[in-house]
Amino acid sequence: MMKSSNLPMSTEMPGNQRRVARKSFLLASVFICAIGVILASTAATSFSRTFNGQQTLPSNMTPEVKCVVGFDNIKPDTRGTLTFLPTGLQFTTDKQKGEILTASITDVFAGQESRQDVSGMAGTVVKAGIPYGGGRVVSLFSHKVEVLTVEFNDENGGFHGAIFVLANGKATELRNALVKQGAKTVEHVTVAAPAEEKK
Amino acid sequence: MKPFNRAAIVSISSIAFSAVLLLAASLHATPAPQAPASSGKLTASAIQINRMGPAEGLLVPEDFRISTYENIIAQVDKTKKFQHVYREGDKRAADAADLVIVNFMPVAYTEGSQKKREVTTIKGATSIQVKVQFTSRDGKVLLERDLEGKVRFFGENLRATYDLAKKVAATINESF
Repeated sequence: MMKSSNLPMSTEMPGNQRRVARKSFLLASVFICAIGVILASTAATSFSRTFNGQQTLPSNMTPEVKCVVGFDNIKPDTRGTLTFLPTGLQFTTDKQKGEILTASITDVFAGQESRQDVSGMAGTVVKAGIPYGGGRVVSLFSHKVEVLTVEFNDENGGFHGAIFVLANGKATELRNALVKQGAKTVEHVTVAAPAEEKK
Repeated sequence: MKPFNRAAIVSISSIAFSAVLLLAASLHATPAPQAPASSGKLTASAIQINRMGPAEGLLVPEDFRISTYENIIAQVDKTKKFQHVYREGDKRAADAADLVIVNFMPVAYTEGSQKKREVTTIKGATSIQVKVQFTSRDGKVLLERDLEGKVRFFGENLRATYDLAKKVAATINESF
């Protein structure tokens, strides 16, 4: 008697659980996709902000520049404003400031690269979390950037290198301005970009 | 669910016992970490890190060279093994008592693509192989290692330079 009354319950429970699990999986997928869309849209707006911001700021200031490496007092991959001064370059963040004097520059180099629209730790987590390989689709979206590499010496003669990631076209502009100001340059052999980057 | 009978318990415990035996044997057979070239650990109070030298027929992008150099300086500084970490050209290094000089020679470089890596997961890896040489002031080679920095799945190409710098720091930690 007990067995017959328990049987339907035991067959019904897994079905319910499956339905709940399916529903929660669907909700989780929708949530992760929504985060992905939000991240992609913020990346797009921050990129457009770069161009809008340049219109309001003085022409010698470039906002939203990423300093990959270069200054002992500024953490790698910090975003800030790069200013072209009569004495050289200045990179400023909310708290820190770094300066490169034109006289100390031994080489300046500008090169074009491609960067992901959704990147960084948060972007990577979201991309990895999108089901059915959706993160790979997000990875397809990238934009062209320019990398400005500046080599300079400190007051003790120690060699330093700074790498800045700027909006397309800006690095060449800054390089030319620095050379005009008296920065030294060395002839470089350019490295061909990987096949899929060529357009 | 049926409880395990005696035969099942005996077989499970024998499998577990043999697994433990195998694990112990494999741990015993694991080779010891590679010892430095000299018998003991090297000692130095100061280190000078030089830029990556050019290699014949090998084109390493300028930002890649700079990123390697700067990341190595940051990682060597983090090891706290030396009182002073000097950059290439630093005049103060001339007065340092026991100075070790580090030189890097690129051996191989493969430029990958972040997009390829993240879309395919098997293609587009970026890697750089360098010969790292620790020498004394008079040019005597104290230690030599072949190291590789790579980025396989997520991250920008320059992340390979960070990976390489971490390996240089690990070499210093085990040899000094």
